[in-house]
Amino acid sequence: MSNQTTTSPWKTLVALPENIWRSIFRNPLPSSDLGRASTSFTNFFLHLHPVKVHRNSLKATFTLGLGLISFFLFFILVVTGILLMFYYVPSTTQAYDRMLDLRGTVAFGIFLRNMHRWAAHGMVAAVFLHMCRVFLTGSYKPPREFNWVLGMLLLLVTLFMSFTGYLLPWDQLAFWAITVGTSIASYAPLVGKDVKFILLGDSTVGQEALLRFYVLHVAVLPAVLSLLVAIHFWRIRKDGGLSRPAEEDALPADAPAPVEVISGPAVVMATSAAAAAAAQPVLQKRQYGIQGLVRGPFTKVGNVPDRSVFAWPNLFMAELVVFLITVAGVLLVSLLFNAPLEEPVNVMHPPNPAKAPWYFLGLQEQVSYSAFWGGVGIPTIEVLLLLIVPYIDRKIVGVGRWFAQERLLANFLFLTFVIVNVILIIVGTFFRGPNWEFVSPW
Amino acid sequence: MSTRVTLAVVSFVVLIVHGIVFYDQFFNRWEKHQTAYFEQARSLAKTDAEKHALDERGPRIEQIIVTQFGESRVDRCATCHIASDDPRFQGHADPLRTHPYSAALGDVERNGHWERRHKFTDFGCTICHDGQGRGLETFYAHGEDAFWPDPMLGYVTQANWHAEFKAKLTGKEYMQANCAQCHTEDNFAGAPLVQRGRQLFFEKACYGCHRIEGLSNGTLGPDLSEVGKKFKVNYLWEHTVNPRSFQPTSFMPKFDLTDDEIKALTVFLKSRRGINFAETSLGQYRARLQHTKAEETSKTQSSTPSAVRGEQLISERSCTACHKLGDRDGHIAPDLSYEGLIRDEDWMMAHFREPKSRIPDSIMPVFGFAEADFHSISSYLKTRSTPASFKTGEEIYKNLCARCHGEKGDGKGVTYLYLDPAPRDLAKVAFMNSKPEDRFSQALKTGVSGTSMPPWERVLTEEQRRAVLTFVFQTFVKEPRPELKAHRVPEQNPVAFSGDSVHRGEQIFLQRCTGCHGRKADGKGPNSLDISPRPRNLRNSFFVNSVPDKRFFDSILYGVQGTAMPSWIDYGLTQNDVGDLINFVRSMNPQKVSPPSEKAPTLTSQVKQEVLCQGCK
Repeated sequence: MSNQTTTSPWKTLVALPENIWRSIFRNPLPSSDLGRASTSFTNFFLHLHPVKVHRNSLKATFTLGLGLISFFLFFILVVTGILLMFYYVPSTTQAYDRMLDLRGTVAFGIFLRNMHRWAAHGMVAAVFLHMCRVFLTGSYKPPREFNWVLGMLLLLVTLFMSFTGYLLPWDQLAFWAITVGTSIASYAPLVGKDVKFILLGDSTVGQEALLRFYVLHVAVLPAVLSLLVAIHFWRIRKDGGLSRPAEEDALPADAPAPVEVISGPAVVMATSAAAAAAAQPVLQKRQYGIQGLVRGPFTKVGNVPDRSVFAWPNLFMAELVVFLITVAGVLLVSLLFNAPLEEPVNVMHPPNPAKAPWYFLGLQEQVSYSAFWGGVGIPTIEVLLLLIVPYIDRKIVGVGRWFAQERLLANFLFLTFVIVNVILIIVGTFFRGPNWEFVSPW
Repeated sequence: MSTRVTLAVVSFVVLIVHGIVFYDQFFNRWEKHQTAYFEQARSLAKTDAEKHALDERGPRIEQIIVTQFGESRVDRCATCHIASDDPRFQGHADPLRTHPYSAALGDVERNGHWERRHKFTDFGCTICHDGQGRGLETFYAHGEDAFWPDPMLGYVTQANWHAEFKAKLTGKEYMQANCAQCHTEDNFAGAPLVQRGRQLFFEKACYGCHRIEGLSNGTLGPDLSEVGKKFKVNYLWEHTVNPRSFQPTSFMPKFDLTDDEIKALTVFLKSRRGINFAETSLGQYRARLQHTKAEETSKTQSSTPSAVRGEQLISERSCTACHKLGDRDGHIAPDLSYEGLIRDEDWMMAHFREPKSRIPDSIMPVFGFAEADFHSISSYLKTRSTPASFKTGEEIYKNLCARCHGEKGDGKGVTYLYLDPAPRDLAKVAFMNSKPEDRFSQALKTGVSGTSMPPWERVLTEEQRRAVLTFVFQTFVKEPRPELKAHRVPEQNPVAFSGDSVHRGEQIFLQRCTGCHGRKADGKGPNSLDISPRPRNLRNSFFVNSVPDKRFFDSILYGVQGTAMPSWIDYGLTQNDVGDLINFVRSMNPQKVSPPSEKAPTLTSQVKQEVLCQGCK
């Protein structure tokens, strides 16, 4: 509009809004495929996504949106967490009073706290379910082994995040849950006692522990988590997008896919190595060199049936839906249920039973049978096994399908692990009364 | 299309929730109270300036920050109770009501104007009323939330309190507990219930078991110095009425108290918060020093001991809260009705000074009475010396034995939980029919040393004793007594008492016996809890020294039928091993009487040393 070399000040003024807009968003709302691609990769936030995404990745029944839900919950946690930080003081004399103030006097205080609390519990659950999804669809197989490892680390960091946050309200629930939790840690051989001491900064939970947990909770762990999340996302693209069955690519498309050559590396839609292997004989001669940016796979230049769609608007719309569902869920739960706030800490008066946070109640239940094996031995073995699963189970079969027949054994073992742990948590939560004796919740 | 529908629905939910949250946030109940107050105050205002000042005021959170008394308090009660200090609102409805003026609280009326003794700006509200000063919703502020430890005293009961007692836990008088936070003097007129409770604490002998800093030093029950901080009034009330309502294992006796007494005790206990806002820590320390001095002088002050005084003391100090004496029965400790025939004065006095010195596993607390008081009590008990006049065996059993051994003879009388060792289960045929009759008649006659089984020798005549024994065998054992085969056991320990023998005995003991009898031989081994009757405490010197070697040999080699003690001869213990064991057990129990065997050496200090050193070698 204002590409004339000489313009009147008036015209400059008239064109000002549009010029500013254009300088920020280079593209108008896209109406062509070219425009869609361009919109994706010229926007900082959107260019984290691929320009085109496989249809399979958009299937709600395949991913259940669990990864995104976890991430959005983290986002909600960061936002509400920062707002809560304006009011919180990590001091044994003040922390509980601040909770009361949040409940009584601070604008939206109780709602913020509810959101933070429930989103945190939700995130632990979502991350765990996300892990289940990835396992049960065989998505940890090469080349995605390392991303599975990153995911496991993220699960551990998430648990630790939630655990450190549990202490901060400084009520009876918090105090005794952390006392129990850290005692479980001290059952580890050799280093157990030291780990507990480093964590607490003292032999019991007190001011030092509160300060340490606070710093871990608001600074150290979020930074670590953000970094790991970034690598996790980056790896998704570098490993060729979400997993999908090999046949998805081999299926003949209903209509011949349009040939599109778009410049720039962002266009590359990497497919899984499995798909690459299948298509290799046909395509060998047509592999393009510029795709050196992507390891392994190839570019498709129209010869492969194209099952991918543009990220704009398909992927972005899907993400928006998941985001809004997550937000709506957290808001609703926060409206209906208040985050618990029990008695102020009374070191001399432990509740009976003193219970760890729910996600550690499985551990506590195991500890009630054997301190070392239940609290340290078995969990360590479980985590180690989960970490090296992709390096043991390397046969690339049953990828990208739920409960694939070929993976019956693996899925069976994994589901056993999940169910046993869930049962232990349920028993620990609902069926344990004073002195950790079996009680009926009815 | 479905995506768009989902989007629409979800967006709607987000919007609605936001709406509700914002509404909640900007329309608080306290604002309505304040607006109402401003309106009414304006209509009551006399001058324009006053009206104008009221126009200027908008709703806001009113708070008093109190730093003088203990930890600082933030009381926002006046946000709703905004008229509490405005004398024009007397008689209005809550929350817009003037806090009553009262001369009892020290308020003074001058020329028709009341002046408060405890100014709200200085004291705040929660220091007297409790409740949650920071809360702005009734539910939280008044402490109705079951998690809040200090609900408004006397005004608020929490939902999970026992319905039976709820009504009794309301009433302004409960606030006296908080008056006593500052007004700690014993005779403070403003808190009569606290005073009464303190008296009861001594009258009912609570102090015998419980410690309260500056008042008492009991060690048997929990320390109550900060009990008011730990527990709410519902717990204090209910626990006093029925100690097992919260703690099924509590062995605190049920005291026969009237509701008024319980209330006084509850208020007194509620006032024990371990802190005193009015005193500095130095002042507290001084007070404590003085108190100990006063106690000592009161101890040395002695009235002349007399039986009359003793009887008085027994009822004053609530001995019958545990013991039985005549008609009164605490269902915990032994019957004292025939004490004059059962124990002599020396025994009584030693037992008063340190009950464990006569019954090693006794739970009776050490009471710090003056020596003269003990003499009074024992001289009274000596007057209880009329032999029992019951005739039939059944009558005797019901009146004298059933209290411990149980109506059914199963060893589970009302007191059995508190006696260690527990009363013998007389219905256990295996045991009853495997021991010679002589043993039972002997136990009846001379009692069982070191236990609560007293000697009935002077209480019951020989016929009476025989009658009760016959009754026991006919009623509880029922089966005819078989012919007892005498086991081949030596009369006296053939193994000479020596350091070596003790050492060997110890090794065997550690290998074979500790599972039940415990590493300390105190009968509290890891398996002991699952065993009934419990394993013997082998450090009960009175008991061990009263048992002849022969019985030891019999019990160890051939077991004790009807108990968990196996016959060790089946597990390869020889007579000599048992001899070593007996020497080991005897070595742990310093002998005051010479052992039954003449050959066995008395434990001189030299032998003792040898024995002790052997243990480490």
